[in-house]
Amino acid sequence: MTIQAPPRELDRLEELWTDGLADAYDAYLAAVGHFDAAIQARLALAAALVEVGVRLQGLGGRAAPPTTLLMGDLCLSRGSRLLADNAPLSVQVAFARAIESLSSAAAASAPAPATRQLLLAALSTKP
Amino acid sequence: MSGRRFIFESTRPTEFVDITDRLRETVRGAGLRNGRLHLQSLHTTVGLALNENEPLLLRDFQGLLERLAPAGAGYEHDDFTRRFDIPLDEPVNGHAHCRQILLNAFATLMVEDGDLVLGRWQSVFAVELDGPRHRELAIQLEGEFASQGRESAEALSRRDAADSLVEIELARQLMVDPEPIATPMRRLIEAGGKRLRPRLVQLTSGIGPDSDPLRAAELAAAVELLHNATLVHDDYVDESTHRRGRPTVAALEGPERAIAVGDYYFAKATRLIAQMGNAGVTSAVAEALEAICAAQIDDVALRGTYPGDRESYFRVIRGKTASLFAAACGSGALLAGAPGDVVAALKRFGELVGTAFQMADDVIDFSPSSGKTVGLDIRQRVISLPLIYAAEDRAVGGEVRRLLAGSLGDAEVGRVTELVKSTDALPRVREEATVLVEEAVRELSAVELDGLRPALVGVARAAVDRTS
Repeated sequence: MTIQAPPRELDRLEELWTDGLADAYDAYLAAVGHFDAAIQARLALAAALVEVGVRLQGLGGRAAPPTTLLMGDLCLSRGSRLLADNAPLSVQVAFARAIESLSSAAAASAPAPATRQLLLAALSTKP
Repeated sequence: MSGRRFIFESTRPTEFVDITDRLRETVRGAGLRNGRLHLQSLHTTVGLALNENEPLLLRDFQGLLERLAPAGAGYEHDDFTRRFDIPLDEPVNGHAHCRQILLNAFATLMVEDGDLVLGRWQSVFAVELDGPRHRELAIQLEGEFASQGRESAEALSRRDAADSLVEIELARQLMVDPEPIATPMRRLIEAGGKRLRPRLVQLTSGIGPDSDPLRAAELAAAVELLHNATLVHDDYVDESTHRRGRPTVAALEGPERAIAVGDYYFAKATRLIAQMGNAGVTSAVAEALEAICAAQIDDVALRGTYPGDRESYFRVIRGKTASLFAAACGSGALLAGAPGDVVAALKRFGELVGTAFQMADDVIDFSPSSGKTVGLDIRQRVISLPLIYAAEDRAVGGEVRRLLAGSLGDAEVGRVTELVKSTDALPRVREEATVLVEEAVRELSAVELDGLRPALVGVARAAVDRTS
């Protein structure tokens, strides 16, 4: 699948594209059909970045080494900026709550729902 | 003589609240150059103490107070059948009163050259003995005040009220979070910090037709939470054991918890800002956060060519520090509905002040009276302008570069510090920071700021004119 988001959005993250980001993007792209066509690709990329970001960080598992954590942070922050610029407010809030839920479960060493399941639910939030 | 109230919210039954930074800000804001600051508890269960902010020591003090005046030890004050006119909500707190009598209820601190006179390890504490509660301390300042840049009593009173709103909002947000997440963040927030970013949000949110102090406090607290979330991850990356005199989350609770705490408050702050319903504000802060993360990657990458060069330094600090200052200024104004030219000028102002602030921080790293460990930046190989200048110095540059290329133990850090001080690097960086601040002040000259220019100028100058 060809990405429809501007190249800026993959700056510094190009290597991640073949390392799981493209697959995640495809999965989320299939779930954003109910949004305006102009923002579908950006929303799918935002969700994919968040998923890959928390995986890189090791959230809920073993902590990533510092340099990998920073890549994870960049993924999360870019995903968050894409959402801020494109997503309806309800979706932005749902994404934030999903990360809050994942991180509070991680801090309490409690089981957490799968990240993709949480983010797909966030994308289906009604405006 | 100038008087005011210092308000804070305690969050635990016994708590040592470090108020040093806020007192320093009070002295600076008032323009007191030389004189005294008098501080008095307005409560019979709040004391004052001057001691070291070391977490284990604070637990020792708490243990001492508990041993000397244990709770529930049969205090006559707690026998309500023998007292008259007691309110319905009178607490059982004989132990707290007895503990307070062991502490001071008032303190006088000397002020010289515009700053509190404190020893390297001294911090000022308000000691809560019967919390959590809303508390007030009375402050009087006397002595020689600078005539220029002094805020009016009315402006100071407004600022104190605004500061209190942010502290209350921070406490309120932390109160509802899960304990494993909230406890480490509360430790970091309560340890102080300069609160410059929230102050900039509050000031700039007073410029515009939709100005609302409560919404401003919400945004300011969210920005402060976001800033602290980035610090939690930074401390793991930099392997820092302490921040603001307290153990870091990574050092005390481990890196897994640090990642979770940072992520939680990153998400929560982002949500709180989004829920304010101002798309411009949400985008401005999100953009700054992305810039911070990208710059952090650059910063770590540059440690391989330590100490780096001037151009790389400014690229990194624009992202790591200045971007959030710019977003704080711009978002406050956007929230208040300020015109576009005002928002743009304030963003530029914030970026310049943030850059100057970081440069001043680099200089402070070499000062033994700052309260921080001298040479911490060198140990952690954090990019620093004085080091870059010293490494370029004709006389000592070679030795500086050779030392920085090797492993950095106490002896090497001490020697590099000596070499940096022997050059003109420190005054040069301070001078350049001052020039940036004046440039920032000029950014404000062409726009209407609803009378808030003096306060913004005061914050800008205080960002570089500091010793800690």
